[in-house]
Amino acid sequence: MKLCFVTVGATASFEKLLEQVLTPDFLQTLAERHYTHLLLQYGKDGEKIYNNFLNSGKSHHGLILGGFDFKSSIEPEMIMTTEREKQEQQRGLIICHAGSGTVLAGLRLGTPLIVVPNPDLADNHQQELADVLEQDNYAVSSTIQDIGSAIAKAELQKAEVFSSRSGNNTLFENISDQMGFLD
Amino acid sequence: MSLYLTWSLWEWLLWSIVLAITLGFGILFVTAASLMISQNTAVAKTRKRGSPVHILIVLGSGGHTAEMFYMLDQYKFDPKDSTYRTYVVSSGDNFSAGKARDFETKRGDGEEAHENYTILTVPRARRVHQSYLTAPFSTLHCFWTCLTILRGLHPEQRLLREYTAYPDLILTNGPATAVCMVVAAKLIRFGLFFLEWSSWLQGRSPVFTVSKLRTVYVESWARVSSLSTTGVILLPIADRFLVQWPAQAGRRAWWGMKKTQYAGWLVI
Repeated sequence: MKLCFVTVGATASFEKLLEQVLTPDFLQTLAERHYTHLLLQYGKDGEKIYNNFLNSGKSHHGLILGGFDFKSSIEPEMIMTTEREKQEQQRGLIICHAGSGTVLAGLRLGTPLIVVPNPDLADNHQQELADVLEQDNYAVSSTIQDIGSAIAKAELQKAEVFSSRSGNNTLFENISDQMGFLD
Repeated sequence: MSLYLTWSLWEWLLWSIVLAITLGFGILFVTAASLMISQNTAVAKTRKRGSPVHILIVLGSGGHTAEMFYMLDQYKFDPKDSTYRTYVVSSGDNFSAGKARDFETKRGDGEEAHENYTILTVPRARRVHQSYLTAPFSTLHCFWTCLTILRGLHPEQRLLREYTAYPDLILTNGPATAVCMVVAAKLIRFGLFFLEWSSWLQGRSPVFTVSKLRTVYVESWARVSSLSTTGVILLPIADRFLVQWPAQAGRRAWWGMKKTQYAGWLVI
């Protein structure tokens, strides 16, 4: 199995991203890159788009599709994008909105990550975060239209850079002086 | 005939304004000076390694809570270290309470693990979409509950004997409840300072031999170049202000105050 997991978050809807990942072009690109599954966490307003696609009778390009609106924890779905030999699972891909929780969870798993800031959101912290992640080579930042071409870039990037916290101090090392321990 | 009785209305008004301004600036100056002294005073090294430590952790909600537990995951508890954890969640935030329980269950292989923590609930400082007219009252309610918790008087609190009610360390990463808790901690420390001072004047031994109620704030990993509102408020108040992006380093509330410290990614 090679899974592409698309998650739009719980709070804001992100219909344009959902429409984009269900276009024939994008599905074709996934199939060409040997993805077998496409799973969508489509949020509160995405069910219609997903069902419309299933009912339209359009080609799935050999992909197995799945979708759900929201779960309190998407950790199990995210783990399905990691490489696990026992489950015959190849390293997959996560396409997500620039919400910090999702991005962090993806980075912690070391899965290739495409971050798509939501242009409809008023506050631009998401854009800022996506920019700096791309700049520092942690993830690929992409507009909705370009996610197809971002896949190759994200896969390559993760082959080179694997996120790990080496050299960093942990929280408790940083604040141990506040405890006033005797040396 | 007293001088005051001969004053006209205008003279009364003028002097009242002068008095109000003087008083206002006086309070402002004393507050600023206390914060400055408090932030710049290093913690005395008097605590024995392995002695009981009470840590209070404020769980903000959603993303804040997630980030907090990513950071706590890095905390390798030494079995010899005895720590007590008090988690503070906002009312109705089942996600955070569940996360805290999961975290404790996951790491508690010892039998007495369950006695080493409590989860306490505080009323929300401001609910989403709550009117700004009633928000001050709920914030006060939240603040009062924080004071109650810090003094160990919350009805659900069940501390083990070797731990003092005042937490040794308070960990926060936002939002509103964190502000209430840090301000409450500072207020109690202000009171304790005078207590210690008066007992010193009377030649008695100090009440506490180790530091108490030290506050740590970690700015969200999602904040790349600008502080959050919580961050701006807590910048002059928290004892230690950690940031996770280089552009956030070296900020301070005003001249002479402690700077934010770049700590790298604490959440990975």
